[in-house]
Amino acid sequence: MDLEADIVVIGGGMAGLVAGIRATEEGMKTVLLRKGQSATAYSSGAIDVIGYLPGGTVPLASPVEGLQGIASMFPLHPYGLLGFTGAESDTVSKTIIEKVRTAVSWLKATLLGSNIPFFGDIDSNLDAVTVLGTVKPTCMIQETMWPGSLMLDEDSVAFFAGVKGFPVFNPRMAAQVFLEHQISNKLPPRKAGHHVLDLAPFGNNYNISSIELARYLDNEDNLSALAKTLKKQADRIGATHIALPPVLGFNRARENQLALQDLTGAHVFELLSFPPSVPGLRLQRGLETAFVKGGGTLLVGHHAKMDSPKSKIVKKVTAVGPRRNLKISTKAVILATGKFIGGGIIGTENGIRESVFDLMTVSESFHIATNVTPQKLTNTLALSHMGHPLFGSGLSVDPQFRPITKEEIHAAENLYAAGSVLAGYNYPAEKSGLGVAIVTGYMASRNAVDYVKGVSA
Amino acid sequence: MSEEEAYRTVLATLKEEAIYPYNEDEIQVVKSVESCINCGLCIQHCPVVAAVGLDRFSGPRSIAVELSRSPPEYWTTADVVYLCTGCGTCREVCPKDVDIPEIVNLIRARIFKHRPDLVPMQLHAADAILVEHGLAFVPWEDPEEKVESRNMRLERLGLRHVPDQVVKGADVLFYPGCQAEERAQEVKESAKIILDHFKVKFTLLEEMNCCGLPATLLGDDETALELALKLKKKVKDLGVKMVVTTCAGCTSNLARIAERDGWGIPVYHMLEYLVEEIGMVKLTSTFKQSTEEKPLRVTLHDPCHLIKHTSRITMDYAGQILSLIPDVEVTESFAHDSCCGGGGLVSYHAADVARAVMKENLAAIEETGASRVVTPCPLCTAQLEDSLFRQGSSVEVDDMTVFIAQRLPRKG
Ligand SMILES: Cc1cc2nc3c(=O)[nH]c(=O)nc-3n(C[C@H](O)[C@H](O)[C@H](O)COP(=O)(O)OP(=O)(O)OC[C@H]3O[C@@H](n4cnc5c(N)ncnc54)[C@H](O)[C@@H]3O)c2cc1C
Ligand code: SF4
Ligand code: SF4
Repeated sequence: MDLEADIVVIGGGMAGLVAGIRATEEGMKTVLLRKGQSATAYSSGAIDVIGYLPGGTVPLASPVEGLQGIASMFPLHPYGLLGFTGAESDTVSKTIIEKVRTAVSWLKATLLGSNIPFFGDIDSNLDAVTVLGTVKPTCMIQETMWPGSLMLDEDSVAFFAGVKGFPVFNPRMAAQVFLEHQISNKLPPRKAGHHVLDLAPFGNNYNISSIELARYLDNEDNLSALAKTLKKQADRIGATHIALPPVLGFNRARENQLALQDLTGAHVFELLSFPPSVPGLRLQRGLETAFVKGGGTLLVGHHAKMDSPKSKIVKKVTAVGPRRNLKISTKAVILATGKFIGGGIIGTENGIRESVFDLMTVSESFHIATNVTPQKLTNTLALSHMGHPLFGSGLSVDPQFRPITKEEIHAAENLYAAGSVLAGYNYPAEKSGLGVAIVTGYMASRNAVDYVKGVSA
Repeated sequence: MSEEEAYRTVLATLKEEAIYPYNEDEIQVVKSVESCINCGLCIQHCPVVAAVGLDRFSGPRSIAVELSRSPPEYWTTADVVYLCTGCGTCREVCPKDVDIPEIVNLIRARIFKHRPDLVPMQLHAADAILVEHGLAFVPWEDPEEKVESRNMRLERLGLRHVPDQVVKGADVLFYPGCQAEERAQEVKESAKIILDHFKVKFTLLEEMNCCGLPATLLGDDETALELALKLKKKVKDLGVKMVVTTCAGCTSNLARIAERDGWGIPVYHMLEYLVEEIGMVKLTSTFKQSTEEKPLRVTLHDPCHLIKHTSRITMDYAGQILSLIPDVEVTESFAHDSCCGGGGLVSYHAADVARAVMKENLAAIEETGASRVVTPCPLCTAQLEDSLFRQGSSVEVDDMTVFIAQRLPRKG
């Protein structure tokens, strides 16, 4: 079985899908392979761009501020690489910020097209509230997760509503943690209530999962039933804002939010939750929809395998499915296989390996990591602002986002890489995961498209 | 006691304690469980969990990490492990390639062997039929009646009859599978019409036998193997170059056993055969002359055994073929790739669960506004037809092989 493509994208998380959607927009025949589900689908569904500088402990007021810092101090950070344009150095930070802005605004428009409107931009970081009642800075959140004026309006009253038998969310604790945090920071609201609703999606009110609730609320009748009890309870304490766990539906989350607001008269929003979250899956689906709508070929359940000996140009990729192997000939390849969840980078007893092409891997500080065991790249402290250097390991790339070899030249002239398969940034510590995936996916795709147009001309 | 002696002693007590070590093949599958990182993504995607809730079906992760580790007390697993439809969604989304559908088969095989009392009785009944007849269904008692039923179907669908033929050394063995052989005979007939139309030298089996998939799914590995080997001998004797089938389950299972047992020839679904062997050029010119001209809005249902057990490319082919047929407009359903509930023999003993799983598909189908669902599998067809009918829906269901055969240009 054979397929032909201009561009093959390996990996279907944020980086791969951004790259794939962009390539189809440029008229490229694009085939995207996705083996399992991605870290993108696993995430909270909020988009971090940059929350802390590498090694920093003070949260950044805005991604723009962080990008300026990276421009001057961390040239090899994936964001830093965006500044290698050969132009004057004083424009580096401007170049980087413009590129990030372009990619992020484009993504926002694209997701809006998939009915997943996002709130926020790179000029400020937002405060999102989590199911634990804590506040997490992030760059963009789904409209359904935006708390509105809750933390600004002096008179706001928060109401945390949980669901009986849904173990992920304890509204009493969340309300308490949240209120204490706000009061100690002298911020509104000054009042918060909580209640556990009895929804029983399958007739029982125990052992309920978020997916059950999300599906349950995709049904209009169920939603109005929820609205009724919600209103009664929220009115009791005069709530202006209602916080729900992120289960407002898979297909109609935004509509559901608006409907609930209509019915309760309060601002309704979803809290950020643990993985795997419903908003993460919504994000994944929204991206896939955009890719397929744009004419891309999405091959789920196939992993890429290279069987040809290493060469300077990658001409064929084998897609291995459950019972079929497809040979895809292509003009360029974008590797967006993720890190440890996605499977692009694997830690073995011998060292850190790249899983498809066996490319050279490096550590966070750009030392070759092919022979460094994962344990050597962990800190003694499990949780610290430094994170674990392990998460900064991956591929080293040239300014065009092509992986490089020991000799510091590109491994193949038409092979690009994007997303968390890259080294040099520590997403859990910096809070930059999806942002880097978006921007590097966007740029790697642009370079790959230029390359294909060049060889086709 | 020497090490060897100690080993023997322990080995001898295993049986007494009802502990049965895994064999080589099983170990591969069990090992895949070791890489589970407990992420829970599979639970989020499992259609059975979505349909009946975590409390009734504890889901794929629980099968992988808890149930596969509990021998010999299989009683803890039985009520759960028979509710998996084997759709393969969990394996497809698992970031760590944990092969849950195979683990389910493995657990069911162990229960069948060592604790048959825990196997739902409906599955014992199904097994008895497989053992007695070598088919998934009790064959027609009166061959005349079978022919009559076939003729009625041909007439209703406006299809011509291409006689059965058994030809040694033919290029293609057409293998209808039990459903199309015994029940949905129009599918078998349609496949013959298509092969005849493209002048393919094809043959049928002298005597049909099941590929063994239902036996595997209910845990009777011995019968499954026996059926597979019997089929291999028949295929070898016919000396064909490839096997073509119209059933999704047969496609993935035949591909599996053909590789395992060294058949040395490829197995195709009809869709793959048309696109890859007949070719799009010929198909394009063929459907240009299609005489069927009622405009029709259809939606596709993707059989799990094609997309999640064979390759998703098969449904790309389905779309490509439909795009060639004049006056057919395809509207995608948002649940096109969601399990119809018909798999894993769940409907045999827990029809309520199978129906709950199907509900998602039905709602999505209705939403498309299509007047017909097309699906390349006679089992999915039957499952969908039954559910839509129960729901009082006016949407019709066609097996895709039949749908294609009806739209070939009429001969003469
Ligand atoms: C638990 C968790 C929570 C997170 N929460 C957030 C958050 O709230 N906000 C945020 O901004 N970031 C968050 N992140 C980080 C963020 O999710 C990742 O940095 C980002 O998703 C990386 O995107 P990616 O496209 O590079 O990789 P992934 O999303 O992991 O995608 C990799 C893809 O490649 C595929 N693949 C791998 N190998 C192959 C192969 N051989 N063939 C075919 N396909 C292959 C995988 O199946 C997968 O689809 C979180 C991460 C984790 C783990
Ligand atoms: S095979 Fe399908 S039904 Fe069975 S556990 Fe996996 S996802 Fe659920
Ligand atoms: S998706 Fe895979 S790794 Fe995650 S819990 Fe399920 S079986 Fe385990």
